Amino acid sequence: MQDAENVAVPEAAEERAEPGQQQPAAEPPPAEGLLRPAGPGAPEAAGTEASSEEVGIAEAGPESEVRTEPAAEAEAASGPSESPSPPAAEELPGSHAEPPVPAQGEAPGEQARDERSDSRAQAVSEDAGGNEGRAAEAEPRALENGDADEPSFSDPEDFVDDVSEEELLGDVLKDRPQEADGIDSVIVVDNVPQVGPDRLEKLKNVIHKIFSKFGKITNDFYPEEDGKTKGYIFLEYASPAHAVDAVKNADGYKLDKQHTFRVNLFTDFDKYMTISDEWDIPEKQPFKDLGNLRYWLEEAECRDQYSVIFESGDRTSIFWNDVKDPVSIEERARWTETYVRWSPKGTYLATFHQRGIALWGGEKFKQIQRFSHQGVQLIDFSPCERYLVTFSPLMDTQDDPQAIIIWDILTGHKKRGFHCESSAHWPIFKMTLDTLSIYETPSMGLLDKKSLKISGIKDFSWSPGGNIIAFWVPEDKDIPARVTLMQLPTRQEIRVRNLFNVVDCKLHWQKNGDYLCVKVDRTPKGTQGVVTNFEIFRMREKQVPVDVVEMKETIIAFAWEPNGSKFAVLHGEAPRISVSFYHVKNNGKIELIKMFDKQQANTIFWSPQGQFVVLAGLRSMNGALAFVDTSDCTVMNIAEHYMASDVEWDPTGRYVVTSVSWWSHKVDNAYWLWTFQGRLLQKNNKDRFCQLLWRPRPPTLLSQEQIKQIKKDLKKYSKIFEQKDRLSQSKASKELVERRRTMMEDFRKYRKMAQELYMEQKNERLELRGGVDTDELDSNVDDWEEETIEFFVTEEIIPLGNQE
Amino acid sequence: MPILLQGHERSITQIKYNREGDLLFTVAKDPIVNVWYSVNGERLGTYMGHTGAVWCVDADWDTKHVLTGSADNSCRLWDCETGKQLALLKTNSAVRTCGFDFGGNIIMFSTDKQMGYQCFVSFFDLRDPSQIDNNEPYMKIPCNDSKITSAVWGPLGECIIAGHESGELNQYSAKSGEVLVNVKEHSRQINDIQLSRDMTMFVTASKDNTAKLFDSTTLEHQKTFRTERPVNSAALSPNYDHVVLGGGQEAMDVTTTSTRIGKFEARFFHLAFEEEFGRVKGHFGPINSVAFHPDGKSYSSGGEDGYVRIHYFDPQYFEFEFEA
Repeated sequence: MQDAENVAVPEAAEERAEPGQQQPAAEPPPAEGLLRPAGPGAPEAAGTEASSEEVGIAEAGPESEVRTEPAAEAEAASGPSESPSPPAAEELPGSHAEPPVPAQGEAPGEQARDERSDSRAQAVSEDAGGNEGRAAEAEPRALENGDADEPSFSDPEDFVDDVSEEELLGDVLKDRPQEADGIDSVIVVDNVPQVGPDRLEKLKNVIHKIFSKFGKITNDFYPEEDGKTKGYIFLEYASPAHAVDAVKNADGYKLDKQHTFRVNLFTDFDKYMTISDEWDIPEKQPFKDLGNLRYWLEEAECRDQYSVIFESGDRTSIFWNDVKDPVSIEERARWTETYVRWSPKGTYLATFHQRGIALWGGEKFKQIQRFSHQGVQLIDFSPCERYLVTFSPLMDTQDDPQAIIIWDILTGHKKRGFHCESSAHWPIFKMTLDTLSIYETPSMGLLDKKSLKISGIKDFSWSPGGNIIAFWVPEDKDIPARVTLMQLPTRQEIRVRNLFNVVDCKLHWQKNGDYLCVKVDRTPKGTQGVVTNFEIFRMREKQVPVDVVEMKETIIAFAWEPNGSKFAVLHGEAPRISVSFYHVKNNGKIELIKMFDKQQANTIFWSPQGQFVVLAGLRSMNGALAFVDTSDCTVMNIAEHYMASDVEWDPTGRYVVTSVSWWSHKVDNAYWLWTFQGRLLQKNNKDRFCQLLWRPRPPTLLSQEQIKQIKKDLKKYSKIFEQKDRLSQSKASKELVERRRTMMEDFRKYRKMAQELYMEQKNERLELRGGVDTDELDSNVDDWEEETIEFFVTEEIIPLGNQE
Repeated sequence: MPILLQGHERSITQIKYNREGDLLFTVAKDPIVNVWYSVNGERLGTYMGHTGAVWCVDADWDTKHVLTGSADNSCRLWDCETGKQLALLKTNSAVRTCGFDFGGNIIMFSTDKQMGYQCFVSFFDLRDPSQIDNNEPYMKIPCNDSKITSAVWGPLGECIIAGHESGELNQYSAKSGEVLVNVKEHSRQINDIQLSRDMTMFVTASKDNTAKLFDSTTLEHQKTFRTERPVNSAALSPNYDHVVLGGGQEAMDVTTTSTRIGKFEARFFHLAFEEEFGRVKGHFGPINSVAFHPDGKSYSSGGEDGYVRIHYFDPQYFEFEFEA
């Protein structure tokens, strides 16, 4: 993350060089080291993630070709290579073709005015077609419109009205047409063939044919020079909406080989003309000291934090995880409206609200940033925490894509919006038929200005360990299904694998990107039912060799060991579910290490450090838990958290939390803390507990050698830790005993008081019960009559089965 | 092995030992009132007469009389030994709670807010037969706000302590009927109130998943015992600092057949430390009523499943001590 922030300055400079773009010069250079933690932040190896985070988006629908291409060209036109001077007419960026992020460089007033004039123009264009003079007279005429036969209500001629028109009909006057009305409906078309008067009529016909598709053309103008048209024309539509439509759809229209239309709104010229030639130095934003955003990493005990939502979402708390009892750091009512999320390195806590997303951080969990996005439902962070992607099902309009918005976290600025057709594929934002568009940061433009056209793409997935994207295309008649690995930005296909009789594919990357497993469900010819193949791609080897493991049983779950070469598979049908652990050896052999049968599990949870795994039978399987050490494949413990719905490893792999969320089950909402060996440490019952999330940690700064060294010296450390544990344990039991002692003392004191009162009342008691002392069970033993009762006890021998 | 008492066809509503502990009275949502020998679980007899669910039962200090209150809109007084019905007090709505005072001369019962009738606490002096004959209590306290869901006599019969649907506790004077003390420590209905043997303190069981210990005179809150389920009943050990809680998921909320989820166990807490130290399983539904034997060597529980179980403690129970 640091790298990213550190390189942010040159990036900002780059942006400044493109005034024609959607991000004109308003972005202040992020204060250097703004987020640099004071503490453990020794610089990471430079340049790993900084240069370009990429966002994969598959562009929409069948018409996507039409829509995306102009955009790509528009981007080309406004690319960094262009001169920063105001663009020439034909170079005008067709920014309306791919409606941009509202230009943030504009003064807000200007934007507002645009909107107003829009609505005004709409009102007028209905009748006047832009005849300003007539429209201006409309009001007086309306007043005189009374019938002549009626008695005259008109004022005498010398009457001076003391009420201003403003006062009288201010609300109508506001909508009074103005001189500039109507120009919103005018478009300019460039690259029109230059013709003499002889062919002008023909040209007009052609133009009319093309452009009347978008609405009624009320006026046209073909400027001429030396008897020939000048090559650009003006067209006026009946309404601005038509003009916008025309710009969107006709820009880039290929009339013939030499002539490709460039279509722009007339008003755009105005807009770009007014951009100053001088570059204004953006005002330096005052530096906001947010404190050390990574303070929690400096905690002496190396404890982790987690967030807990409870009381059905009304309260959210942050705790330090502690072996004894969780230590509360912060608790707030209605902190979030739905749920929370941590950023991937743990710097920010995101809360969800109807109006958008808020990010919190620092020691006091102060608000750091807000992103306004009505009805936001899903978010995703970029891996280095520079960008935030938000999704909202509301608000999407044709002109202004708002379904998915990408934000810059540091500045809070909107980088780009996207349309969204279906929300099914989060976090891979957008999935449809044909085109895969890859956008690059920081410009948020299409990578290489071109979408990848992959017909029939079903699913894609980024490698977590490099700029490689994997995607697959299903079978189409005689063409086999294909899994492709593509290097970016070179777009070189590094591996293609053809597969037959494919029903479905799932792409599973190992966390480091060392391996890719493609789970292929196939129906081989001549067999019944589905066979599953695991195609294991070894990414780190030359030409990416592939090995296959075939499974005949139903696959319930698959998971890679995060930092290793093992994977676990749950297979079979309930109640005969087995788990198999495989190891991908260096020579490429895939070896079955161990299989356990009769498992009560439907989910696999690897420790983030690998080696240890929790197999959980969540929800319908009553919360059965098995803790397995895969180094020697022993089951360390079998346990149960009844009706558990979630399992969460802490980021260090030391603890596991199982929980019953109120979202899935309405009683016994609680979270339990276990060690990685499956020893239960705490049961935390929380009223209507909803969600627990561990705060992630940034990747370790230690080198592989240092880690090795630590592992080697483990004995030395473990001695120290054990001593510490013993100390804290004895302290804990001491504290507990101490607490009990005081409780007991207080209680005794109270009882003594109560008993004194009781003794005082002895006479009254005796009196009430006719002198009989009933204070003790046998205190009136003298009054007892001896009575012998005989019970008839029959002994009967019942076989054990009938017994309770 | 516990002794299983099968004398009811419907879920148990209340169980109570007499003062000496040789007898155990049980009432249920059927019209039968049973009395058992607590030592072996043999049924001594029944008190027949009610025509509806019986909500409450009490015996006086010398076990001469038994008092029962029922949903058939009556409170009845019985001769304990013969089972003869001595008095029938008709009411306008179901009788929810009833009890003899310390001397056994005055009875009180509370009626439900039901069918347009208010919740009342009625007091009769048994020494004045005309009160019974004319069905005219010497005092009737109206209770407009929140109906009484449990009530007991305070020490020396000077007051009654009533728990309400709202979770409030009121101490009413048995002479004037005025509210002497009012506290609200529970957030939901108080299902049960039971006094300690010396009557200086009492424990409440509430739908808010807790049981609480109070001082009988001041109604000062002393301790809280927390569980994850509504608590239907709680009883104090006569000779140890222990309290037993019975409850469980409400029958109407039981969605699965598993008894595990309902948590139908009797749970034992230390009175001073508020810590749980033991559980006893057995019932197939929530426990509606628990009672300690006056000698503290056994306890009984009555459940929604219609069974009453008498449990004798094993030796470890008496040896167990918290480290303190």
